Amino acid sequence: MVEYDRSQSPEGASTAAPRICIVGVGGAGSNVVDRITLDRIVDATLVCAHTDVRVLGHSMAPVKIQLGAELMKGIGAGGDPDLGREAALFSRDQIRHSIENHDIIFISAGLGGGTGSGAAPVIAEIAKNTGALVLVVATMPFSFEGRRRLAQAEEALELLQKRADALVLFENNRMGELILPKDGIQKAFNQADQLIAQSLRAISTITTTPGLVKLGLDDLTSALANANGRCLFGFGEARGQNRGTEALKKALKSPLIDSGRLLHQTKNLLVHVAGGESLTLVEVEGVMKQLGRHVPDQTHILFGLGVDAKLGDAVAVTLISSLGLNQLNAHATAAPPSEMLQPRAEVTAPVAAPAPVFAPAPAAVTPAPAPKREVAARKAPAPYAPPVESTPDLLFKSAAFSSVPAVGEAFPLTSLHLEAAAPVQTQDPDVALVEEEEPAFEEHEPEPPVIAAAPVFASIPETARIPASTPVAKELADATRNGNGKESTLAAVVARSVTLQTEAAPAQDDLISFDEQHESTMISATAVLTRKSTADSQQTFSLGEEDRGRFKDTEPSIVQGEDLDVPTWMRLKKKLRR
Amino acid sequence: MAKSTIYAGLEIGTHKICVVVGEAKRDGAIKILGVGQAPSRGVRKGEIVDFEKVQTCVNDALVRAEDRSDVMIRNVFLGVTGAHIESLNNRGRHRLPDEQTEIGEDDVEEAKEIARSVSIPQSNVFLHSVTRQYIVDGQEAVRQPIGREGRVLEADYHIIHGVRGRVQNAIRCVREIPLEVEDVVFNPVAAAQVVLTREAKMQGALMIDFGAGTCDYVLYEDGMITASGCVPLGGDHITNDVSMALQIPNGRAERLKVEEGSVLYEEVPEGEMLSIEDDTGLILGEIERAFLNEVMNLRTKEILIQVRVRVEDHLGRLGAGIYLTGGVSMMKGVDVVAREVFGIKVTRAGSAPVSGITATFENPQYSAPIGLIRYAQILDSEKPFLSPLKRLGRRMQELLSSITL
Repeated sequence: MVEYDRSQSPEGASTAAPRICIVGVGGAGSNVVDRITLDRIVDATLVCAHTDVRVLGHSMAPVKIQLGAELMKGIGAGGDPDLGREAALFSRDQIRHSIENHDIIFISAGLGGGTGSGAAPVIAEIAKNTGALVLVVATMPFSFEGRRRLAQAEEALELLQKRADALVLFENNRMGELILPKDGIQKAFNQADQLIAQSLRAISTITTTPGLVKLGLDDLTSALANANGRCLFGFGEARGQNRGTEALKKALKSPLIDSGRLLHQTKNLLVHVAGGESLTLVEVEGVMKQLGRHVPDQTHILFGLGVDAKLGDAVAVTLISSLGLNQLNAHATAAPPSEMLQPRAEVTAPVAAPAPVFAPAPAAVTPAPAPKREVAARKAPAPYAPPVESTPDLLFKSAAFSSVPAVGEAFPLTSLHLEAAAPVQTQDPDVALVEEEEPAFEEHEPEPPVIAAAPVFASIPETARIPASTPVAKELADATRNGNGKESTLAAVVARSVTLQTEAAPAQDDLISFDEQHESTMISATAVLTRKSTADSQQTFSLGEEDRGRFKDTEPSIVQGEDLDVPTWMRLKKKLRR
Repeated sequence: MAKSTIYAGLEIGTHKICVVVGEAKRDGAIKILGVGQAPSRGVRKGEIVDFEKVQTCVNDALVRAEDRSDVMIRNVFLGVTGAHIESLNNRGRHRLPDEQTEIGEDDVEEAKEIARSVSIPQSNVFLHSVTRQYIVDGQEAVRQPIGREGRVLEADYHIIHGVRGRVQNAIRCVREIPLEVEDVVFNPVAAAQVVLTREAKMQGALMIDFGAGTCDYVLYEDGMITASGCVPLGGDHITNDVSMALQIPNGRAERLKVEEGSVLYEEVPEGEMLSIEDDTGLILGEIERAFLNEVMNLRTKEILIQVRVRVEDHLGRLGAGIYLTGGVSMMKGVDVVAREVFGIKVTRAGSAPVSGITATFENPQYSAPIGLIRYAQILDSEKPFLSPLKRLGRRMQELLSSITL
């Protein structure tokens, strides 16, 4: 394959400007890269990686990588992430060769499919190893694509999160929902691609071009910092009179911002205003003032200002922020498609939790987990995956094993297994085997941990404060206090403390207990969730069999679990009989 | 504009379909020119389930109304209801720019826009958004904010919305007749215009339009519409209960309910029997009157309790009490039960007197369709610059764009 490295062409400039590479992985990823190629909006090396030769053939990217040519024989991964991963591992060298020597590597992938979910983490790993800054721009599948794809996407997300410096995650549902229902599916996907391409461009310009008020990658990550957050992105460009206001209006119109409504809950908001040399202070002030109406006072606004001669007399406003999936869904559930969304919320919430559970499990401290493997099949492999210093191969295999909690299938069971696993960690393996039997079969078992959860949660900061003598613990305690025990900070803290662990041996015990408690909180959260969902479903079961007379075929009027179409006297009689 | 305008209101009820033709004079008076009515088929709980049947019935009613009023009806105001219709109050807050102290027209528009941009479910459509009041710097009940000094202007809106598809279906059904739908009005909002006097609205009143399919309500406080909605239970449910309790067909149960039924059972002497006849006058059997009344009472009470649950928060502030209208409000003893349920004064009311066919407005069954005429008139007087034609055009554009989906 011949390689045209566009970013290299202006020899002199390349030393000053950071070299950017954009890799599109899988179908969605290559679509995005295509769009960028066509629009020529970013000065970067564009790489398209796919297992399917046909897609590669259509791709307009200058560099194309056929993943796993020998293994796949040019056929797509067929929605199987394992195949995608294998394929990417086969083409490791080729990938490394294409993306080497760049300062920033963007990886764009649509999660949920085979190549996107399977290969993207591998490529991210390789990119990380080249020493570049890795930014992943990913999309979660539409809810109509089914649960399986969602599960795969969540799994891939987990892996990507560990490898990328920043993760920009888009919720396709959000984009799809706001497109007119009559628009075809192609348009829905197209729109999504376009938005992602725009965001890629915006991020690369924001972080690379010098500005009057500079925004760096640190600002970007803090704007995106949100546990299980989905990216809110808006971009608007306008010229002529009132261009500042117009640009802001356009940016707010972005479906991901929902005319500013979604901004009400964000904690951090990155605003970048760029314009040609004619940009005036008054305009910038106007934009910010207007934006202030949509944003609550406590929101941290990360403001950036750039003058870019390329923009001419146009003004561009970029808004980037993130919102937790739950909050996002809370907004969306008002809409009736919530039938589609509800199961999602159920699925994703428990998935969100395990992130910190798996990452930190310190390999050095826990005894060899062999006997436990059956008890907590999903949990056990975690110790194998300390995110640092291991060869990619091993890493991927074990990660594949851990196959993050089994979204969708048998929740109660999963949570029970995890519960069983939690006490097992420190006790000796025999006890574990004895204990294993009981919780696995008792359906109502989740209850005790629920009650226990409250004190556990409360005690986290305490445990963190006790060993304040060691440096690690101090850091831990500080971070916990700052973060008020929020998931995101906890996760970060735990992850960091694991890497430091070898140096600060005395802190180990505390760390483990901390880790465990955190884990059990998470688990009990899952248990609560599961319990709640069963309770919900029970209510609806009892209905619909009663005699409704002439209202048989009409929509039932259900109030507090009673079908009011059934004669009042009949219901009263039933109640009396009970 | 002509001296008077003729409007037609169409209400597709669960029990009857009714077309009222009225003349609205410039001075605000209304004259009812004619009423056409036909029994309704194919409507359940206020919503159309069978297009063809409904269309035949509407045609019947239409022809009668045209006959009596001697008016060709082309456009109608359509009253809709249904369980899917919900309401909420929303406030839009607009802070004036720093250098400006006087509230201008733009500021009012801005505040309105913010108030109206409330997030309703994607599939829903706005039926009404009524300005309740403006609030300037915390001072409530401002009717006309333009020209006032202030820093913060808030617009308080009552928003009624329903599921787009269901509203659209009603419109489509009528358009196929063919009739043009000038505007869609939530039934109780229309009925309240003629049932409640300005005074009642100022004192605070709850109007309950107790129909066959649904029980719609509107609540006014300090002259402002505060709550509205629809309980998908009505006279049909009473009939159904009777029919199932007595094991008699629905038609007969309906007649029994209307002719003999009452919701007061405590005063009925024990052992008083009622004979049930079939169409030929043959006696089918006997039932105890107290039993019939008790069945009806239980259901009526339950329906009213459902209404109460929805307006509970505002009940303390109703000086004018409750106005019962709609077909079921003619049932014996319903006011007593309502008083029991709500604990405040209950008035049974039809439309306020208008000129024309007097028998019409006295009948509470016609509150909603007459209200449609009044509503149309109010609408026109509020928007004098927008001719009905233009409004129609805009409406149709909206419709067309959504129908071609």
